Amino acid sequence: MIENLRTALAGARFELRVLPRSPGDLMALVTAPVTTIVFLAITQHAGRHDLATYAVLGPALMALWSMALMVCGEMIDAERAGGTFEALVATPARPLPLLAGRIVVVVTVSLLSFAESWLVAALVFSIVVPVPHPGLFVAALLATVLAMAGWASIMASVFVLARSARIFQNSLSFPFYVLGGVMLPVSQLPDWLRPVTRLVFLSWSSDLLRDSLNSVGVRYAVPRIGLVLGFAVVGLLIGRVLLNAVLNRSRTAGTLAYA
Amino acid sequence: MQWFRVSRASMANAVQDFAATYTVRTWAFGWLGRIVAQVVFYTLVGRLIGAADQERYLLVGASVMAIVTEVMLTCASSTWERRAGTLPLLVAAPTSLLPVFAGRSVQWLVSSVATSSVSLFAIGPLFGVTWTVSRAVAAAVVLVVCAVGTYCMALALAALVLSVMELRNLVGNLATALTTAVCGAVVPVGFWPRWVQAVAVALPVTHGLRAVRALVAGPAYLAALRDSALALAVAAVWLAVADGLFRWLSERGRRDGSIEFADN
Repeated sequence: MIENLRTALAGARFELRVLPRSPGDLMALVTAPVTTIVFLAITQHAGRHDLATYAVLGPALMALWSMALMVCGEMIDAERAGGTFEALVATPARPLPLLAGRIVVVVTVSLLSFAESWLVAALVFSIVVPVPHPGLFVAALLATVLAMAGWASIMASVFVLARSARIFQNSLSFPFYVLGGVMLPVSQLPDWLRPVTRLVFLSWSSDLLRDSLNSVGVRYAVPRIGLVLGFAVVGLLIGRVLLNAVLNRSRTAGTLAYA
Repeated sequence: MQWFRVSRASMANAVQDFAATYTVRTWAFGWLGRIVAQVVFYTLVGRLIGAADQERYLLVGASVMAIVTEVMLTCASSTWERRAGTLPLLVAAPTSLLPVFAGRSVQWLVSSVATSSVSLFAIGPLFGVTWTVSRAVAAAVVLVVCAVGTYCMALALAALVLSVMELRNLVGNLATALTTAVCGAVVPVGFWPRWVQAVAVALPVTHGLRAVRALVAGPAYLAALRDSALALAVAAVWLAVADGLFRWLSERGRRDGSIEFADN
């Protein structure tokens, strides 16, 4: 346990050094403020000042998903392309905690987009979005980070296991923004689509985060946070199975260095 | 004539690149699916606002923005040429860099017009954006104008990005996001302060989008023609800027030795 934690911390330290030197990986943080301006312009122009919360949360959630998809999704593949994956697997440290440590850093850094969006609303549109349930907001954010990290570990392995899946990497953004209800709550989507949305953790997270910014009381907050954490655990477990599959296949086929 | 020959050879590279990336199936289910989801996403924002006209406004804007999203990939695909180590040879060759790079990313032109057309003419009617055959044909021509105009602008950005290749995706995405904000895709250009409106005028897609919106509203062929001509005029300025920047890149490279075979 302690060993795994140390490995995860080593992964986190490594990512903290690499990430600031990779401007391409921070792209979502550069575009998030502009996306916030886009959505706030839409709501303000329509006179729907009550939707400012949606316009601030939406771009931040999009940045969270986008960074996990693009940066975490390429983590294993980048190690292979750089020729370091072979050496990494040969070390006595377990790869999953190492990967998890790195992923958690990326997802945590992507949370900066929430601050960016909030600031853009305040500075550009003079809209200060209040946080009437700060405790719930922080808890929902933490649960979302863990769920995102769990599902990012799946992406990292899937994009190695199925080369063709990599082609779809760019395509996994907007479909999930719709299914995750990042702007339009899933309750307003067509009936036939709603069961699918409930299989996407982002739909629970975005509902929770929106509710935490709403002044009325939040119903079933604890079970809903529990559900998002459940998604985190499921994601991590599937990620572990897939990562083992990556390692087994790479060792068997002799493709650890590069396929 | 020489420029045409060089461009044609470069276009062959573009086609091969595209064929190596996508099959018909992965393009249709991957890329096209993503663009349709993007357009539906923006349209649903209109539903959130609760006004049907906003839904239609955003659908048209997002459909045309699909062109910008894809054409801005020119920033990235132009750097593939430098990564391949061909830039020193291109600089040494007795022709300008412009026809080379103007041909190198044409795959995005074709693909973007296709995805945008599907969004406007197939998804549009589902949300109340209806067409007659003649208006649809005219709008399809305007989409080509939008793509060509944005391509000229993307070439200028690509010429800049070739000096700082690690920013290739960032510049393309940022340009797309900023264009989305100001060109009239999500709110009328008049919503913004005057200086932002001035920036919007310098974007070819601003005029192209206005032409598409005119055709959505009715058979405003003359207005569409005028706006398309304006878009092409602005595009010509961008092309001249791109040519100047490519020349600067090549001359600076010769002077300080920064044109190299190695990846950077």
